[in-house]
Amino acid sequence: MNSSLKIFIGLEIHIHLKTESKMFCPCSAHYGDEPNTNICPICLGYPGTLPLLNERAIEHGYLVARALGCRLSNRISFARKNYFYPDMPKNYQISQHNHPVGIGGTIEVDFNDLGAKRIRIHNVHLEEDAGKMIHANDATLLDYNRAGYPLLEIVTEPDLSRGEEAELFLRDFQRLVRYLKVSDGNMEEGSMKCDANISINLPGRGLGTKVELKNMNSPRFVRLALGYEIERQSKLFNSGGEIVQETRLWNENRDITLPMRRKETPDDYRYFPEPDMPSFVSNAAFLKRIENQLVELPLAKKRRLQSEYDLKVEQAEFIHNDIAMVTLFEDTVKSGASARNVAAWLSSDVRKLLNRDKRTLADTPLNASRFSSLLTLVDQGRISGKIAKNVLKDIFSEDADPESIVEKKGWFQISDPNELGKIVDQVVSQNPDVIEIISGGDSKQKSWLMGEIMRVSNGKAAPELAKKILDERIG
Amino acid sequence: MEQDEWAVTAELAALKLSEGEKKRLVKQAEQMRKLYLSMSSAVVDNLEPTTHASVVKNRVRKDEVKPFKDVDTLLDASNELDDRFFLIPNVL
Amino acid sequence: MPPVKQLWFSALNKPHVRDKYVQRVREIDKKIGSFLSFKLEEQDWTALGRKPLGGVPVAVKDNIAVRGRKLTCGSRILENFVAPYTATAIRRLENAGALVVGKTNMDEFGMGSSNEHSALGRTSNPWDLQRVPGGSSGGSAAAVAAGLVPLAVGSDTGGSVRQPANFCGIYGFKPTYGSISRYGLTAYASSLEVIGLFAVDIRLLETAFETMHAEDEFDQSSFSTNISGSEVKKIAMLDIDPGMLETPVAEAYTQAAQILRERGYVVEKVNLVTLKFVIPSYYTIANAEASANLARFDGIRYGSGSGYSQNPINLIKEARSRGFGDEVKLRILLGTYVLRSGFKDQYYIKAQRVRTLIRKELGVLLRNYPLLLMPVFPTQAFLRADSEMDNYKQRLSDIFTCLANLAGLPALSVPIGINRGLPTGVQFVAPAFGEKSLFDIARGFSEVFPVQFPPGALEIERMR
Ligand SMILES: [Zn+2]
Repeated sequence: MNSSLKIFIGLEIHIHLKTESKMFCPCSAHYGDEPNTNICPICLGYPGTLPLLNERAIEHGYLVARALGCRLSNRISFARKNYFYPDMPKNYQISQHNHPVGIGGTIEVDFNDLGAKRIRIHNVHLEEDAGKMIHANDATLLDYNRAGYPLLEIVTEPDLSRGEEAELFLRDFQRLVRYLKVSDGNMEEGSMKCDANISINLPGRGLGTKVELKNMNSPRFVRLALGYEIERQSKLFNSGGEIVQETRLWNENRDITLPMRRKETPDDYRYFPEPDMPSFVSNAAFLKRIENQLVELPLAKKRRLQSEYDLKVEQAEFIHNDIAMVTLFEDTVKSGASARNVAAWLSSDVRKLLNRDKRTLADTPLNASRFSSLLTLVDQGRISGKIAKNVLKDIFSEDADPESIVEKKGWFQISDPNELGKIVDQVVSQNPDVIEIISGGDSKQKSWLMGEIMRVSNGKAAPELAKKILDERIG
Repeated sequence: MEQDEWAVTAELAALKLSEGEKKRLVKQAEQMRKLYLSMSSAVVDNLEPTTHASVVKNRVRKDEVKPFKDVDTLLDASNELDDRFFLIPNVL
Repeated sequence: MPPVKQLWFSALNKPHVRDKYVQRVREIDKKIGSFLSFKLEEQDWTALGRKPLGGVPVAVKDNIAVRGRKLTCGSRILENFVAPYTATAIRRLENAGALVVGKTNMDEFGMGSSNEHSALGRTSNPWDLQRVPGGSSGGSAAAVAAGLVPLAVGSDTGGSVRQPANFCGIYGFKPTYGSISRYGLTAYASSLEVIGLFAVDIRLLETAFETMHAEDEFDQSSFSTNISGSEVKKIAMLDIDPGMLETPVAEAYTQAAQILRERGYVVEKVNLVTLKFVIPSYYTIANAEASANLARFDGIRYGSGSGYSQNPINLIKEARSRGFGDEVKLRILLGTYVLRSGFKDQYYIKAQRVRTLIRKELGVLLRNYPLLLMPVFPTQAFLRADSEMDNYKQRLSDIFTCLANLAGLPALSVPIGINRGLPTGVQFVAPAFGEKSLFDIARGFSEVFPVQFPPGALEIERMR
């Protein structure tokens, strides 16, 4: 690859907005239902039906535009984008053209080793999704449950210059929409999609010939596809070949991009203003509502976790990745736990359990009050750190409070000197040979005896007290 | 030339025209197009386009689900079904 | 004379009259062809008596949805399509006791001024069976004119209610844009059209309009407002080159002005310099919107499909090519063309700016005059397949009607008697929400020119 070439990468990201109902009709926007159950005359494009604008979809759109630092439009309107395809019931898509929710934003993204960079946002606009086409042997099956689902498209300027940056940008954007609770932002499940455009040129010559990339179903594939494309185009460029303006598809089985079949007639979407809906004017009350929904954004959050709580980079990275984790962290700390301790627990034991169960924190019964009472039990010496790990597992599997788990399992530490003395005596009397070695001067074996005490007591012996009694017994 | 433009237009409009239709329709379309061009003498450069009747207040729908009661009649209206899917001849 | 509502209720309240009525409608409509379907359904007649439109049979243009009835739009592509829901405007009429008895013939998707562009049947003018009833709501107009119903619903995109009403000698009313919900009206040109009404009687028309007028959650471009009307003293009369109008139409026009003056109104001739841009602007916009509105008819989810095809785009093309008639194809082509990149500024955007210009001029005029008097159409009902009235000439002749659509204003066509065996009339245009002025002025005219019926019309007052 010729390192003197300049690379311009822009992204077009679509997210499904989290709403109860569809964009323009009151059908459920729920996923995974039986085919063609969430349909009505409106989303099937029946004659005589009209689009009915969903208030929450607009709010979500404005919120994202605001978070991306866009200029918010005081008047938005919709337009019809015309093209024929069986998955689109009206054979036009209601989208935004001249008056989108937001234009001209910037967002700072941390590319780790590559440093932080400001990426400009071209615009943010609302539109509706199409149905799903399933290709069977000799027929195509159509499911319109998804038709009319609210989409938000975010178009960046070509400010990215590597596949890695695109991937990190996408991951940060996923966090952002989850923080704002406007979308699941899941590319694998289809609630987020990303197309990319890329061009290369000699420095100072501006943009090159634009190639569009589609069919990348994860941030990783976006990185791989762009990496492949940078190499392909650079070779072509350096060998004096011609880069064709085209759309290429990422083939994830062969790890290459391939040109998409061309249409006979070029697209001409013939945008014109949607006459069925009046413009929406964002008044002060509306904008206030948007402002109230704004939250601290992921990058600011990560930086604050590091500075305010003195967390390690990896811990802050891990915690800020999931807004539920951030909330759990901050709430637990607020209730008095040590921040570094909480962060350590989250980034090791909790993380392991989540990975084991392939769950996200929000899907587990762990909450701040349970977490802080678990840590308090350890702090107060009522359970050992080792027991605490088991309690955590039980919280996950039994959806119960730590106190009641410890109670039920009889896991409280044995800290009564009499009771503990009996256990120590038992271990001592059963291991005369070890006692002999210790009296011979090899005090290292003492820790083996401590292990035995823990084993016999099922891990419940209060370690400090047990050690003290053992010392007394064997002098 | 005229024929070509109208052929591209027909393609965009998803209309397949027979030779007879082409003859009839292109002639009429050209007649109308010329009529449209008579607007060129209107001085309107400083005027905003009127795209729809202006309604003063915002009209939105609360984000609530109200399922359509008669979903199955929507399926029955299709020419061909496969279980709950609308079916069309193969693509590609 | 009892109000029209009472007349119809007390007749149809009797079961044996109902049977006779249905039989007579079928007899008469064999010649007229106004209905595509007709059925008088069972009703609770006791409850109907108390409702404002109780027992009034209503004909509905077949581009407006009535649940369980066909919604053909006069097109092959929807020949067997049944509506799964009811238009809000119709539901409101039904709630007020009106009885939808049938769906009426029309120019395919509302595109035409003669009903000759229906793919599903021929409708004749009740005054002369060789002549057209007008269009595109020709079936609704003919049904009312033949006495089959006292009230009918149509849609007016560029004159599609007022012109057939004028051809058939009855009232034809286009309300202010948005004052009646369009939910359930198959869209042709969304920014121009409204549901409108035909009636034999102004009071009935007014009651029906008040019933239908409301903001609708299913149409976000609809709204409700106080329907007003200022006291009218001065009326503007569009100054027209006499050569533009056929003699009986010109005579009716002069006569209307004469009557107004006799009744104490000041009638002043005015000019509209933008009039010459009305037709090109109107058709550019209407066809552009139509090209998108009719894109949904592809035979996949509903409507007549094409059977097998190698790929989905061909499938769609086949269905549309078989399903649409010439006039529809032409208007889709034109509408697609004016939106194409490279042409859009010159045609579509220009037309929308011209529309602004027209609205401005009309706005100024209507601030000085609360009503504008105009002809409806340059001719009386013309002959079927009239070589003097080809499709192009018909489109040019929409000039007086589509003005109100471009401006979103209410307008009413009013009958002015029969001349040379055919109805004549004029129309009044009012400022937005000025419907009351229209009804008032029409009431005055009705004393001089009550609606007349052609020989052989159904006379409900004689049915016992
Ligand atoms: Zn729906």
